[in-house]
Formats: sequence, C-alpha cells, structure tokens
Amino acid sequence: MPTKENTKWDWEITGKSNWWGNSFTELWLYRHLAVGFVRRDFLLIYQQTVLGPLWVLLQPILTLFTYVLVFGKVVGISTGGLPPVLFYLAGIVLWNLFNDTFLGIASTFRENAQLFSKVYFPRLIVPFARLSGYLLHFGIQFGLLLCVLLYYLVFQSIKLPPASGLLLVPVCIILTGLLSLGLGLLFSIITAKYRDISYIISMVIRLFMFLTPVIYPVSYVSDKWRWLVELNPLTPLFELFRLALLGEGLITITQFVYSCVFTFAVLIVSLLIFNKQSDKLIDII
Amino acid sequence: MAETVIQVENLSKLYRLGSIGTGYFLQDIQRWWTTAVRKKHDPFFGLNPSDNAPPSQKGLWALHDVSFEVKQGEVLGIVGRNGAGKSTLLKIISRIIRPTQGAIRGRGKISSLLEVGTGFNLELTGRENIYLSGYILGMTKAEIRSKFDEIVAFANLEQFLDTPVKRYSSGMYVRLAFAVAAHLEPDILILDEVLAVGDAEFQKKCLGKMNEVSRNEGRTILFVSHNLQAILNICDTGLWLEKGKVKQLGPISQVANGYLTDAQKFKFSQHWQTPEEGPGNELIRFKKVELVPQLSHPDAPLDIRTPLAVKFQFWNLSGEAHLSTNLVLFSYGGECIFDLASPNVLCQEGVVEGECIIPGNFLNDGSYFISLYVVKDTATPLYTYEECLSFDLEDYRGDIRWYGKWWGAVRPIFPFRLEQAEPVLY
Repeated sequence: MPTKENTKWDWEITGKSNWWGNSFTELWLYRHLAVGFVRRDFLLIYQQTVLGPLWVLLQPILTLFTYVLVFGKVVGISTGGLPPVLFYLAGIVLWNLFNDTFLGIASTFRENAQLFSKVYFPRLIVPFARLSGYLLHFGIQFGLLLCVLLYYLVFQSIKLPPASGLLLVPVCIILTGLLSLGLGLLFSIITAKYRDISYIISMVIRLFMFLTPVIYPVSYVSDKWRWLVELNPLTPLFELFRLALLGEGLITITQFVYSCVFTFAVLIVSLLIFNKQSDKLIDII
Repeated sequence: MAETVIQVENLSKLYRLGSIGTGYFLQDIQRWWTTAVRKKHDPFFGLNPSDNAPPSQKGLWALHDVSFEVKQGEVLGIVGRNGAGKSTLLKIISRIIRPTQGAIRGRGKISSLLEVGTGFNLELTGRENIYLSGYILGMTKAEIRSKFDEIVAFANLEQFLDTPVKRYSSGMYVRLAFAVAAHLEPDILILDEVLAVGDAEFQKKCLGKMNEVSRNEGRTILFVSHNLQAILNICDTGLWLEKGKVKQLGPISQVANGYLTDAQKFKFSQHWQTPEEGPGNELIRFKKVELVPQLSHPDAPLDIRTPLAVKFQFWNLSGEAHLSTNLVLFSYGGECIFDLASPNVLCQEGVVEGECIIPGNFLNDGSYFISLYVVKDTATPLYTYEECLSFDLEDYRGDIRWYGKWWGAVRPIFPFRLEQAEPVLY
C-alpha cells in the first residue's frame, strides 16, 4: 500500500466537539432507530394495561371533566362565546402536546444514561423520536377534538369559522411542537448537568400552564396583567389555535411574529448547545 | 501488507475526580468565559499532567499518550488489569466519549458491543427486541429483515419469539442478544467482555462465529476479555495497557505471557525476624511462610502445570512435644480442596521447619488460599494460621479447542486409555 493512501480516513475522533453536530445524512441513516423508539414507547405505555391505547383518549377526557366542573361550574371562569367543553378540550389537547413533549425531551439524558454510555448513535435521534411519538398522541387526541366539534356543529348548531382559517391550525401545532423541542433540548442538557433543576421543572411547568390561556381566554385577563400572559410565546399559539378552529381568539400579527421568532431562536440555540454538549455529558451522567 | 484501518495517536483521557464540573453554576460560567471566549487556560482544571498541582485536584488519566495502529483483518486483544483503561479506550473508539487529547482516525463502519443486550427492553417480545437492538447497533431495517431467520436460528429461540423477554431465562436472553450482535456486518467490530456471560456451549459458538468472521470475511476486531485462553485463540496481536499507558504491543503470545507473569508477581512469602513479630500465640509463632513455584524458567507463567512448594518455619515455644502440621487448601469460594497432614514428629523448643509439594497437573485453574494448622499429639490444635498464602493458577489447555470453564475442583492427569476396539468391516 502506498503511504499516501493512509492519509485518507473516513472518520476522525478528537477532543473537539462540533456546534453543528451530526450531519443530516447520519441522522437519516438512523431513521429506523427513531421509528423503533417511537414504537417501543408506544408499546411500553400500554403493555399490560386494561384499556390499552384508550388511555390516550381517557386522559384528556378526564381532565376535561375536571376543568368543566372546577373552572367552568365552581369557579365560573368565562370561556368567551364558546361552549366550555370545546374551549377546554382545545386548550387541553394543545397543552398536552407541549407539556408531554417538553418533559419527555428534558429527561433524555437521565432516562437514557445507561444506553448512551454503552453504544453510539446520534443522540438527537432520541428527542426527535419523542417529539414524533407525542405528535402521534396529539393526532389521536386531536381526532377526539374534531369529533366533539362535529357533534356541536350538528346538534348544537354553533357557528363555524371560515374554512380558510383551518390552514393555520397545523401552523400552531408545528410551532408548539418545535418550541417544546427547543426548550426540551435545552433543559435536557441543564438537568443532566445540574440535577436539582429537574425537580423544579415539573413544578414550574405546572405553574406555567396558568400563564398560558388553557383554562381562560386572553380576553378574560385584566388589562393590568395581560402583558404577563402575552409575554408567554405560547399564548398567541393557543389563541390562534382556537381562532382558526373554533372562531374565537385574540391575536395580533405582532404577537404571532413574536412567537415564531422566539420559537426558532430557542430551537437553533438549543440544537447548537445540544450538539456541543451531548458528547461531554456522557462523562458526567 | 494490509492497510491500516484504525490509527490511534497520542490518545489521552482525563477524568476529573470528585465533583463533576466545578459544582457551581457561576464557576462553570467563569470557566467557559476564560477558555472558550478568551481562549486562555482553564482556570480550574489544568490539562498538563506535569503541572505541579497534586493529582487529587488534577483528576485521573484513564488513558495517557496511547498510540497504536490496527490493520485490516487484524484481531487485536486488549489485556490489562481493572482500571488500566481498556474500557475507556473502547468507548473512545466507539465514539461514546471524547478523548481529552489526541485523535483516532479510521476507515469503515464501526459497531461496538460493550455489553450484551444493549437497548433490550424486558417488556417487549423477542421479535421486537431483535429489531430495536439491531437499530441501536446501527443496522437498517432491510439488513435485519434479511437476517432475521438466521438470527433466530443462531439463538435457537423459535418458539419464544413472541414472548416478552422478561420471561426468558438469563441464558436465553444472552443468546438472543449475542445473536443480534453476531450478525452485525461492520468493517470494525469492538467487543468488551462479551464472553463473560452465557453458558459454555454458547460461548464456544460465539468464539467460533468470531473466528469465522475475522478469518473468512477479513473483519477487524478489537477484543477485551479476562479470558486469556479465548484471547490467545482468537487474537493475532495483543495490546497490554497498564495505568492508562501502553505497556506492550506485539504478537499475542508474547503479550499474554508478559501480562501473565507480571500479574503473578505479588508476594508469595512472609518472614518475621523475632517470635514477637510473627503471627501465633504463646505456644507457636510463625517465622516464615513461602510459596515457591517450581517454574521451568523464571519468566514462565504460573499455570496448572506448575508444581508448587509450600515452605514454612515456626518457633515452638511449648517445650518438647509431638507436633504435626496440617496444610489445608481452600478454593477462592471457601471450599476445602484437601487437608494434608504432615508426619507426627518429636520436636524440641526452637525453630521447626516443614515443606510440602503440591504437584503440577493436579489443581484446576482458579484462585486458592492455604491455611496451616499446628497440632500437638495429632489431637490438640495449638495454632491455626488462616489464609497465610494465596495464589492464582492460570489455565492451560494445550491443543484442546474448548474455551469454556473447566469443571471440577481438581484437574489431575490419570492414566486414560481410548482406542478403537473393533473397526467396522465392510
């Protein structure tokens, strides 16, 4: 063999980790693994349960009952001009997507420490699989929402928003998904490094729900505190979701742009940090 | 000459001891500011091992300046004591962790098997797990599908494919896990201690598979094992790591021999100058205990063929008496292998000396310890010196192509005849 042949290598491992991380082609090579993880998670949740996949539907339904009872009847929070069931269900379904994805991705390193320390694959596969899995859950729950909506259309004859607005529904879903991915990635790194933060996260996210128009419309918030709710990048997405689907919501173009910019900024920064840090974290976890 | 597929150059890995990171959020930020932004030296952790700070603050060099090359189709066996850096090296080559300094360059696809059953999930069925662990090890769906039947046949688990793995016996679990791994087709395969599990028959099957893969398909294998016999049989080249550094690199027989003799250089003898220092009581005090292997040459390893002489001296402080000594040999697990009594001899006050020879080709491989009992009038124990010597016997098989653990407390060579009595006549 000529020696110059030896200078050509397929790969090189050095101490430097890369901000840009895995090439897209490498992620693509591992696409089956992502599908495998989604499949595993789905099978695992419903293994040896009586109701099986029905749990995906039961959770929002039970939450809906609670909300209608507590916030609708007992506390009496206004739901604007919308029937409470539709109003709450729309909020619950979208919130579940954010909440589950964020918490699921934030625990990436803690839950997979054993696996990560024994075999290499692009670490980003795990959060991507989580996001896909919860989008799947969301799809099922969204189906439930559509069924309820259909019921109200036929039997309660509520007014339908213009069909052109429906195009904005997937935009809301994608932005919510991406925001939870971005924040999840960021917190997966932080919680792996500073373990105590993981205890706080689930509490903070529960409080965060009250800053998001899940159980109340933005129009219900007094002018004095509205800025606080509007600072939340999720607020415009929830309002737009209800506006496009149910015909009622309070949103301006500026707020929507704010949400988009915030989401993509968080996502890009988180991806860079994740790529840079994920290799080093294996030494720690 | 085959081309080089892995080149390891000045590879070092520093592990910080104690708290990871600085432990403080603010200090971590300060550290990031000085090293990443201002490109200065790390204010909290120096990278240069020759820095004069004490090692406890510097951390531990799991690997230090390791360089070697692996050629295509070569099977490299890595030996070394626990903590020598073997696993760290494999983890860096597998891309699981990053080196602190140095680089590894290579060609071709790497698959690593650092543990049996990586990514297996107990709740899922055998079928699901074959796919999942295949994906995790880097196989594509098409690859797994095309080899699915082969994998199932290798593991011999056809009937249990749709049973959750948690209902498998541990043997079945290992078989399935290894079967998936054995059907990987990387250019470079990395194996860590995989043969430590599984029953003997399956171990043999795995070793056979590995041999076949490296010889026939020209695959490069990096192999870490404590089973020296397996390493000797499979590997061409050996790499001996000690405390993170390369101690020896060369043909496997040389490296294995060097490693073995070095591993056995612990103290076989104990001496005491005066009766006050020696272990014992007011009747008996030991002066010397010594294990002297009757090696054919000084560098030969201590294996099951080696005769061992046990020599001892004690001070008899009990006056004139009939004394005998029992030598009791225990296996590492505490099982008594034999209890050997010396002749009963009339001794005066003073030093009494004894020697016993345990012949070669008698004990099985393993770890042993010896206790000595001094007895008066073949009935009254005067003193028991528990666990005064311990030693390891390495395995030796000669031409035997069987790598599983040899059964039995002893492995004697007795006259044994086997011959054709009556040939079948056609």
